[in-house]
Amino acid sequence: MRKILLGTTAVVSAAFGAAVMTPAAAQDAPTVRIGGSIQAYYGYINQSGQQASPGNTPGVQFNNTPLSGNQQAQTAFSAITNPIGAAVGVSNGVGVVNVTNVGPTAVANQGGNFARLGKHDIITLPAISVIVSGKSALGFTYGGQVDIGFNQQEGNLSLDGRVFQGRGSAAADEAYLFVAHPRFGQIRAGDEDGVMGGLMNSGFITNFGTGGVYGVWENFQTRQTGNRTQTGAGNLGDNTKIIYMSPQFFGFDFGLSFAPNGGGFGQTGCPSDAATSGCDRAYAFRGATASQVTPAGAIGPIVRRNEYQVALRYRGTFAGVGVAATAGYIGSGNALDMTESGAQRRTFSNLSVYQIGAQLSYLGLTVGANYQVGDFNFLYSPSVRGDRDGQSLNVGASYTAGPITVGANYVNNLWEGGARSSFNSVTGGLTRAVAVAGVGNNLARERRWGLSFGANYRLAPGLDVIAEYVHHSRREQGRDYDAVRAGIQSRVNANVFIVGSRLAF
Amino acid sequence: MRHLFLLLILPITLIACSSGRLVGNEEYGTDNARERILRESGRNPRDAGFVIFGTDRSQPDTSAAGPGGVSVNAYLWRATLETLSFMPLASADPAGGVIITDWYSPPSAESERFKAQAYVLGRQLRSDGVRVQVFRQILRNGQWIDQPASTSTNSEMEDRVLARARELRSQITAAR
Repeated sequence: MRKILLGTTAVVSAAFGAAVMTPAAAQDAPTVRIGGSIQAYYGYINQSGQQASPGNTPGVQFNNTPLSGNQQAQTAFSAITNPIGAAVGVSNGVGVVNVTNVGPTAVANQGGNFARLGKHDIITLPAISVIVSGKSALGFTYGGQVDIGFNQQEGNLSLDGRVFQGRGSAAADEAYLFVAHPRFGQIRAGDEDGVMGGLMNSGFITNFGTGGVYGVWENFQTRQTGNRTQTGAGNLGDNTKIIYMSPQFFGFDFGLSFAPNGGGFGQTGCPSDAATSGCDRAYAFRGATASQVTPAGAIGPIVRRNEYQVALRYRGTFAGVGVAATAGYIGSGNALDMTESGAQRRTFSNLSVYQIGAQLSYLGLTVGANYQVGDFNFLYSPSVRGDRDGQSLNVGASYTAGPITVGANYVNNLWEGGARSSFNSVTGGLTRAVAVAGVGNNLARERRWGLSFGANYRLAPGLDVIAEYVHHSRREQGRDYDAVRAGIQSRVNANVFIVGSRLAF
Repeated sequence: MRHLFLLLILPITLIACSSGRLVGNEEYGTDNARERILRESGRNPRDAGFVIFGTDRSQPDTSAAGPGGVSVNAYLWRATLETLSFMPLASADPAGGVIITDWYSPPSAESERFKAQAYVLGRQLRSDGVRVQVFRQILRNGQWIDQPASTSTNSEMEDRVLARARELRSQITAAR
């Protein structure tokens, strides 16, 4: 061990000694630059659940029957503001079955309010960035960036995992600083994607339209109360972290990132030690298990702790074919559940995602694929112990000829369905929901898949017009995604056609 | 534990012993709408936007140094060299922006000779960024005698340099 430590010290000394001896380089005073983007799109939207059925009363389905067990489970997850109540159920000795219409009753139809939504809309997506760059006399380059967006998704996006705002409200998105050196690589600190959360991934083809299934189509979607519908998978977000990315050696570079907590900007949502799921420093709190999945408009899920990401990337060219490939891992600890009196229970599995991706490019053609597997749910949050793992496959292709780019991409996700394991505050144990014949609870996995085609025409550098079509679908056998309507709506889908223009400066 | 240390040592050793290439920020992924649009529409995000503080180093063609050790405006420097190229060059100092020609006699007037000194004054492509001083001598009784050059000669030479600099910039801008 001692030899290893000495060896480590020697190597570090050699590496940093070289930096100390680096002759002074030309120093550049920092330059502050302001840029931004404006996107304006017309969308034709044909989605499930935009035509509510009138006549319901709160807590009762269209056919005047009590909510099903599965609907009760969905309702429980929607009751994040009452996390203790989220675990209400009646034990039958085998598992927990919600057999009666008890527990949180702020159910899917929200007090009998109904609406029918039109199919046309125009959206604008403004954003401003402040970018700083400079160079020190020691040869380091440095800088930072603050991004401010004005395109919050009402009732959907949990900013910083804590609050949500109106559509046009300004909110800081990414905000970080960096220091880089040709020998040592780059360190970033602040609110930024991790190395596997967007910085070094390969295989995602999004350079057409607005990004296809990863584009702006979700801005045209609504969410049905108590259910998350029509939207794609979440992401890890920009929780505050520190990132290291190496120089490139023989085509390879690698990166590491670490975030102690799940919230953005740090000290998020922690007014006192009575804080619950909104506090990103809470490593144990009441109702943690129910915070795994957050309903629309509620406090964001912050149960990830000590999130870390590692990535190894290769880029090179073989016979004129550009190759990029990345392999990486995302892991985290998780918050403990203090719902049971006098106990802290570990109810989550650690977040554990393996990801590989590759893309090839030749002349104007680019093709790519990416695959992820591991313990994660659709919000990239730790899953409850006993839940099934998640998988995600992404493929895409694009072709650029002069000012025109066309492309397509496809995503297919499979993960634990709506009937997840629940925490019993009485017994202190985790129990699986069990299937109940005739009420649509079959404990299936959920599949979310999307397909998109799109094209861009470049009018000028920084300005292009786009046309894009996106189809997205959710399916879980037996699960009712839209309790406002009669029957079991186990499939919901969205079709969005988008045309518009975007400008960046 | 030993494996953990080995894992830590490996990248550090790689960094210390190899001459890696610094990966530019534009080589990392981003979900920033501005950067994505600029990248996908063929514009460098580092060049876009408005500089509100500091020097815009993304536009070396009009403000920064030229290549090859030229520390003055590259267009003015090249234009001055070309404009004075009909005369033999005595010295050129790209760092200081000074060009001095040798004496030159036009074929049509061998009893008259000229010498020029040009000063490129800075990094900006400005109309007052170059000064040209022309010296004139005439041959009388086998001796070269200093004579004043026409007062308009200096300004005419400067105008020709500036016109050529503008041409060069236009050509390069159009070629991008």
